[in-house]
Amino acid sequence: MQAVSPAPKSEANILTFPRLGMLSSERALIGAHILVALLAISIGLLLGPAQAYRRAPALQWEIPVFSYYYQALTLHGVLNALVFTTFFIVGFSYFVVQRSLQRALASVTVGWIAWVLMFIGVVLAGFAMLTGQANVLYTFYAPMLAHWTFYLGLALVIVGSWVAGGNIFVTYMMWRRANPGKAVPLAVFATVANFIMWISASLGVAIEVLTMLLPLSLGIVQTTDPQVSRILFWFFGHPLVYFWLLPAYTSWYTMMPIQFKVPVFSDTLARVAFIMIMIISIPIGVHHLFVDPGVSEVAKVMHSLLTFVVSVPSFLTAFNIAATLERAGRARGGTGLLGWMLKLEWGNPVMVSQVLGMMMFIIGGVTGLMNASFTLNIALHNTTWVPGHFHTTLAGGVFMTYMGILYWMLPIMRGRKLFSRPLATAQAYTWFIGMLLFGISMGRAGLEGAARRTDVGSAQVISEYWAPWLNVTAIAGTILLISVVLLFIVVIGTWFFSKGDPEDPAPITTVAPSGAPLWTERWSLWIALIVISNVVMWGPVLLEGLNFVNGFWSVGYPMN
Amino acid sequence: MHIDRLERNYLIAVALVLGVFFAALIAGALVFGVRLPTATAFVNPLALADTQFANPGLRDLGDGKYEAVIVAGMWRFQVGTNEFSETGHEIMRVPVNSQVTFNITSRDITHGFMIEFHNANMEIVPGQVARQTVTFRRPGEYHVQCHEYCGRDHANMFFTIIVEDAAA
Ligand code: HEM
Ligand SMILES: [Cu+2]
Ligand SMILES: [Cu+2]
Repeated sequence: MQAVSPAPKSEANILTFPRLGMLSSERALIGAHILVALLAISIGLLLGPAQAYRRAPALQWEIPVFSYYYQALTLHGVLNALVFTTFFIVGFSYFVVQRSLQRALASVTVGWIAWVLMFIGVVLAGFAMLTGQANVLYTFYAPMLAHWTFYLGLALVIVGSWVAGGNIFVTYMMWRRANPGKAVPLAVFATVANFIMWISASLGVAIEVLTMLLPLSLGIVQTTDPQVSRILFWFFGHPLVYFWLLPAYTSWYTMMPIQFKVPVFSDTLARVAFIMIMIISIPIGVHHLFVDPGVSEVAKVMHSLLTFVVSVPSFLTAFNIAATLERAGRARGGTGLLGWMLKLEWGNPVMVSQVLGMMMFIIGGVTGLMNASFTLNIALHNTTWVPGHFHTTLAGGVFMTYMGILYWMLPIMRGRKLFSRPLATAQAYTWFIGMLLFGISMGRAGLEGAARRTDVGSAQVISEYWAPWLNVTAIAGTILLISVVLLFIVVIGTWFFSKGDPEDPAPITTVAPSGAPLWTERWSLWIALIVISNVVMWGPVLLEGLNFVNGFWSVGYPMN
Repeated sequence: MHIDRLERNYLIAVALVLGVFFAALIAGALVFGVRLPTATAFVNPLALADTQFANPGLRDLGDGKYEAVIVAGMWRFQVGTNEFSETGHEIMRVPVNSQVTFNITSRDITHGFMIEFHNANMEIVPGQVARQTVTFRRPGEYHVQCHEYCGRDHANMFFTIIVEDAAA
């Protein structure tokens, strides 16, 4: 689907990309991002099953290498959910933007500067975590205190991602100027929306880190406020999950149709869905603070209501993608109400990983609505139900889709065939089964009262109600461990050893369908709405949390 | 903007279902009294001696109503009782059908509070007073766990509530 760029030939930045390979500049920059992402999960993923074994009352095994449970858990959360995701998303976004617009990034040099910033950040934060000086988990709530390198490192990762986003915006604007009156391809639309949301949202955590945590860890200030830190973190924390999700949606909306050779059901509603997510994903973060003492019930109810509203674009996506898949199945001769499902490519790792990921995401979406229901939340908050839920969304739908992307992107990046299609397919199926069992068992244990983020291996009291379910989680962990091993075999094999040429071309379209609405690209209007909605929804929460009379009271507690 | 007929009907159905769900939530809060903690008061975590938290304990307010003042700290709930379990953790006794309002704060970092099988779940954030009212309808022994990570012995930060039958 590599249409020739219709842009005027006078422009300097126009590139033509190989169908089954990458330009060398592309390969180096994107490859550097994918490499760091894969290195991060090479530690992060292996810790997952180890945690499950430590938490199973029947086993209580000590975690290898990282015997202190909370050090391991910090690494698992930071490496998987922050480092892997951010690097993968930035690399993937560059690829999508360059290929869809048929032009180089506005500045490849700035692209490298962003990478270096983020990489130094990972090294700094990694140093703090690996030396056990940052056992604060990936949410690092004040007044827990980590070594200053942890905060500086995370700040650099965020700032680097802003630079990357800026690069993408400028690239888009240059294309915009050269192509008046034309709608941008949907994948780029989604990428721009994602980075607008990300930059707006990460302002919250940047303020938290730079004005509260970093100065506290350096001893520049002596006191801090835990409630305010939680408010600022969750201003960022919810859109963070959408930052992970939108690249997956981009693949579902714009790449799967190409891979299945059918048009997407509705391009316009896809754009509407992305706009809704970009705007509404921030002013709902109080749903992570439902049982916090310093946030009013009114704010909680309002954020709960908007959380319901932000589920609409996801329902829209479910419809749109299901309809697109049905087209694909019927085009392949599938009949009957559900018979078309049998005709999807159940032996193709790129497709299997994505379609199974979507199915898992539906479970995650429904359990997410339960979390968002403020009264139900009292039964669920901080129980293992919560990791059960987000391993079906993040480690399920999102992660499986990223692996589906990796299975076509890595071959064209390395100029090699995917190492083994059967092993890659087996990786997807085992991940699906393992994560499903993980979600069910952790969810059920949570309903029986098992707390999350607890080192069950060192607990003096084990409840007979949840113990059996956490033992089941260990079985799920074993299935997932097999899947992780398969994943590494396929990745390392594709990176270094496999013979033959890549088989799957980059599923990128360079044009928007005729009739794609231009009004959706009124970014300044959307940004104004983001600002207004957050002033209204977060302003009162922050003002109420701040203790204007007494200032900050809490001192820091190093978590060594 | 063109919207497919099926897709429009689907969206209307989604809106209706979400509306019903949300109405059920509001009803749960207003009719069945499932309430969330709400901002109540600031308290200096380093100067608790000057506040009600100087003397943790259970106070009988009459009419089956009680107030429990508790201080959370690494890694123990100060409940103000003199009874301890085999593991050395506090035990609090309340009669069946009593309605207990918990007032909790933290002396150091953020902790959590969750009574198994009850609508009791709060973050205990230093600087803030967390308040929740719980009715104990079934006699039995209930584990109260700190559910917010708070350092090395977080898993063993708990106490027990024993709900006693009126006959006993
Ligand atoms: C090999 C598969 C995996 C297994 C067996 C696994 C296992 C676990 C377990 C048992 C916990 C809960 C620990 C606790 O609450 O005490 C956990 C937490 C978590 N996992 Fe995973 N996980 C896996 C993959 C992933 C992936 C792919 C991601 C993200 C991309 C991820 C992100 C997280 C996060 C963010 C947490 C929360 C950490 C926290 O509470 O601070 N996990 N995982
Ligand atoms: Cu605690
Ligand atoms: Cu704790």
